[in-house]
Amino acid sequence: MGKSQVKGTVTSLSSMFPAEEVQKAAKMVEDKLSDKQNEMNQLKEFIANNTSLINLVQKLPDELHHDIMVPFGKAAFFPGRLIHTNEFLVLLGESYYTERTAKQTVEILKRRGKSLESKVNTLKAVMQDLKAEASFFDSTASEAAEGLVEIREYEEDNSTERASQSGSLELETPSVAEADNKMGASEDDEYARIMSRLEELEKEELAAEDNEENLEDEDEDANAVESDGNEDELIKAAEGDGDEDEWTKAAFHRKKDECYSYLDHGQRYSESQSRKQLQQFNGKEPIEEMSNKYKHQDLTNQFASTGLTEEPVTKGNYEGEISHGRIIQQDTKSLSPSINASAPFEKKSVQASKSEFDSSKAFTGSIVEHTQNLDKSSVGTNMTSLQSSGSQPSKPVSRFKMQRK
Amino acid sequence: MDSLRQEKVQKFEEFVDRRLKPDLVHAIAERDKIFDQQKIFSDLRKNIENLEKNSVTSLRTLVNLGSEVYMQAEVPDTQHIFVDVGLGFHVEFTWSEALKFISLRKEKLERQIEEYTRLIASIKAQIKLVCEGIRELLQIPEEKTVEGRVF
Repeated sequence: MGKSQVKGTVTSLSSMFPAEEVQKAAKMVEDKLSDKQNEMNQLKEFIANNTSLINLVQKLPDELHHDIMVPFGKAAFFPGRLIHTNEFLVLLGESYYTERTAKQTVEILKRRGKSLESKVNTLKAVMQDLKAEASFFDSTASEAAEGLVEIREYEEDNSTERASQSGSLELETPSVAEADNKMGASEDDEYARIMSRLEELEKEELAAEDNEENLEDEDEDANAVESDGNEDELIKAAEGDGDEDEWTKAAFHRKKDECYSYLDHGQRYSESQSRKQLQQFNGKEPIEEMSNKYKHQDLTNQFASTGLTEEPVTKGNYEGEISHGRIIQQDTKSLSPSINASAPFEKKSVQASKSEFDSSKAFTGSIVEHTQNLDKSSVGTNMTSLQSSGSQPSKPVSRFKMQRK
Repeated sequence: MDSLRQEKVQKFEEFVDRRLKPDLVHAIAERDKIFDQQKIFSDLRKNIENLEKNSVTSLRTLVNLGSEVYMQAEVPDTQHIFVDVGLGFHVEFTWSEALKFISLRKEKLERQIEEYTRLIASIKAQIKLVCEGIRELLQIPEEKTVEGRVF
């Protein structure tokens, strides 16, 4: 055994993540969960009201008049009749009303019901994630109480430094420590697994991205070249060293509470690519926040570990989310591969976001890169390509806009 | 001694936070509800007076079927109005009777509001008392000089 090269540390879980903090974190997640549950109940109520209203609206035109008690304020009634039983005044929002017949009203209400149901589905997905996280916290809390010990071994001197650095950035999430344990044990196995997963997820990606590929043909080619090159580099690097090790740990440790789900989106292999994506995201206002979060958190991949056990969940999310719009699509896509298959996803998302950025025409021009050596080449090429496209705003924009419409 | 004081201070604070403040919030919520009721009845009164003024016999309104979907409704005879008198009962009134009832109702509501206002005031006073106690406990060890009262 090359002792000179192998260094190791033994730390007990409970010292890294004190039991109280873990419990606090668990409680926070539980609170969030109950909030979501309340929202869910409310939404279900709305849906029930909507369906009963649909039934009512369908029945009313059966008669010319209906005898009713007409309310007069909140505390009084007049006996009266419903007349013009086929004419309904529907509120469209923003004080806009419209007069519709019973059939048309039913259609409006059905559309409302659909949007409510989609909200319910997203909420369900969010709740599932929360539940998974809560279970992780609980299990880690019990493990920490039992006195589980974390053993790290490094193969390079560089990596030791990094690991110790990342070790010092302690955060609440115990799932990270758990991941470390698992990761340390089975690195080699993972590489093989990762490659196979890569292929799997690539296929899924292609299937989902079919619609949008027309728009991004040009970009695809350009990016495909660089990202492929990048991917190879990264994989070589990862396989070569324990660099992957440090990356994971660094990534884990920098995770923050909030972005546990759709917003959190690290991939070990292609941090830089994701960053590019982020910068492109910067062009769009609603996504700005998310991109900031990405930058700050350095694309931690909390799901590297949780991904191992959570793949079905995130995959489910991913599938469920396909309908939800490109951006979210990209996020979940990047989520579900978690440890694996980062490059192909990044490729796609880079293309997608690139076209998006182009059409939104708001490239900030400031690329913040604190990447590793590996990524500098790809960063450079991407930067230049971005800048060149930025320098001719009119042409690319109009092309994309046309294609989009 | 200090620890004892600390404990007392903590107990007082806890008492304030856990019992007095929620009580206060509760009482204020109840009073607001009664304000709302009062408003409803005064609106009703204004409407009835309006009807009387314009001698309106029949009425056309839009009835909310739920989720802001409205339908036209006609009231052929507005002479008789059913007013909610509480406990799930609605009584058929003529206009003048309705107005009389509304004024009676208003008096009752005003009395309830007074009661709640008194309750709220007493809770606030208790909170202040406890805070003063805490302040005393904390200030005596901190400041050796006795604070002179400013008249």
